[in-house]
Amino acid sequence: MTFDRDARTALADGQLRGALRHATTLFGERRRAAIADVPDWEGARDRARAIKDETLLHLDRYLEQFAANAERAGARVHWARDAAQACDIIAGIAERRDARTVVKSKSMASEEIRLNAALAARGIAAVETDLGEYIIQLAGEEPSHIVVPAIHKTKGQIAALFAAKLGMEPSDDVTKLAAAARQALRRRFAEADLGVSGVNFAVAETGTILILENEGNARLTTSLPRTHVALMGIEKVIPRFADLEVFLRLLPRSGTGQALTAYQSLLTGTKRQPADEGPEELHIVLLDNGRSRMLASPVTRQTLACIRCGACLNACPVYRQIGGHAYGSVYPGPIGAVLTPQLLGMGDSAELPYASSLCGACRDVCPVKIDIPAVLLHLRAQAVARRGSTGTRTLLERLAFASYAAVMARPRLFEWVMRCARRLHLMPPLGAWTKWRDLRPLAPRSFREEWRRGLRHEGAR
Amino acid sequence: MRTDDARREILGAIRENLARGSSPHDPLPAPQSSPPDPLSVPERGDVQRVRTFTERLAAVGAHCTVVSGEAEAAAALAGILSGAGARRIAGSDAPLVQRLLRPLRDRFEIADPERLSRDDLFACDAGVTTAQWGIAETGTLVLESARERSRLLSLVPPIHVAVLSTRCICESLGDALDRVRQAASHAITFITGPSRTSDIELTLVVGVHGPQTVHVLLLEDT
Repeated sequence: MTFDRDARTALADGQLRGALRHATTLFGERRRAAIADVPDWEGARDRARAIKDETLLHLDRYLEQFAANAERAGARVHWARDAAQACDIIAGIAERRDARTVVKSKSMASEEIRLNAALAARGIAAVETDLGEYIIQLAGEEPSHIVVPAIHKTKGQIAALFAAKLGMEPSDDVTKLAAAARQALRRRFAEADLGVSGVNFAVAETGTILILENEGNARLTTSLPRTHVALMGIEKVIPRFADLEVFLRLLPRSGTGQALTAYQSLLTGTKRQPADEGPEELHIVLLDNGRSRMLASPVTRQTLACIRCGACLNACPVYRQIGGHAYGSVYPGPIGAVLTPQLLGMGDSAELPYASSLCGACRDVCPVKIDIPAVLLHLRAQAVARRGSTGTRTLLERLAFASYAAVMARPRLFEWVMRCARRLHLMPPLGAWTKWRDLRPLAPRSFREEWRRGLRHEGAR
Repeated sequence: MRTDDARREILGAIRENLARGSSPHDPLPAPQSSPPDPLSVPERGDVQRVRTFTERLAAVGAHCTVVSGEAEAAAALAGILSGAGARRIAGSDAPLVQRLLRPLRDRFEIADPERLSRDDLFACDAGVTTAQWGIAETGTLVLESARERSRLLSLVPPIHVAVLSTRCICESLGDALDRVRQAASHAITFITGPSRTSDIELTLVVGVHGPQTVHVLLLEDT
């Protein structure tokens, strides 16, 4: 029950809840303002989803097309079934290129496969260069939000961290804190032998990868070191170059409320001539890690349409209260609650599909219209089916539901049971439901009884 | 090769799962269906387009100076650089940039683009490049690696000055994507304003990794 425990811890943390309220509200407002000036926002969402659906239904073909075109342009494409294989491939590239220092720009997939730990085990230091990721790496923590990883830390905490780790004069000035990080990371960029980035979109017809960012660290990561490794989930591919337009309209507006983030890098293979700028080698690692399984049903398949904007986190009443850490996964919030159990299996994350009130706010803001509540229900059904064979609560639960069904199917029995309940002022304990909620007391007489006693005659008059 | 095995296994798993998941209610669309009409942004006249572009540049925190002719551009460039307190300048290999920097040699330390080491690059105060395209809709600069070595000069120094012709301002993101696709550069960079972060308490800070100042020198047709 780690989710239950961690959620309680988060709820008791007043500072965390204040930061979350501020951030999620602000992002929600910025998003609403940003989509207001798009003439046909709904049409753009529909089109983006149609492109994703089309891609996913032919994912094998588009992946092969992407790989062939990327290789034609000079990239090396690697395929990784799971996290261990992806880490092996990347560590192998680092060792072959004799890389001691690795700089990383933000990549959810690299966190999913725990790349930093795998590299550290082989003596390779990976430095996170996104400011938020850098902060939490220095602090030895995990990201709590997809877009703002250090949302849970105050500037005072960051100042203390930088004073301890970077030897900086303690200061609450955010500009000075950012400048200290810039200076420390510049040295790392200058000496780095290898850069690891994520990928936002991969275009099948050209072999192009696109990376969005605001800070410039992804540009530095992908242009300064002699080797660039781009790690992407297999669902990142889209068919056509022109398809980028609709996704570039949707993603920044949904994520940060910007019309466009400060930088987009569109990279196709390696440099053409020695005098050109950029890495000598580009390696693209295609990661499955449980994704292909999600294609097996139309309900779960839509999970793969996600473009990782984080809008569902900001909209979710559960996330807004507990933040990212309680989800126990690199993917928090509503999308994490459906993604994590599918990627890692139900074993450790069977509670996550229940971390939702099914209010549908996530579905309403999703730029690719993923019906997250439907996926949550689907996964809940799976969790129940799994429990069916082993759980201890099941016998009681089965008995309760069997009695309920028996009573509900027999009107006379139902009336008799209800009459007894009324007379004894008895309500059945409904587990967690009545533990946190009060049921309304029963009326002294049922509607049927009232009806028989004369309501019918009154009504007829 | 393990990665070849992995490739076969992944593609096999995709096909198997797709076959399991498809039903008569779930028809496969044509794989190469052409997309619906591009999301249209109303066409504007040239003057209006340039005005929109400069307004958007200001909105994203970039500066803009409109000049006509190279002599005026060189003078404006000198003003921008000295105003920002820059001493060490590096220009890209674009002939226009080299022509603009030539008269500035006695006032600034100007690095030779052919012999610019990484240390020189990190020590520069300003990078001067051209931009191949502008996007009016978003106030974006577009840089193509096939046309010029501008990738690092537009990124590493704290000040980036980009020279752009008013003729090269596209209306929309879609127009710009059409154009860059034809050039087939290995690296295409879209730049919208200075480098920015809100990672600490959502407070905006510019210049965290990339330039703090982006200045567009907009060259009018003469």
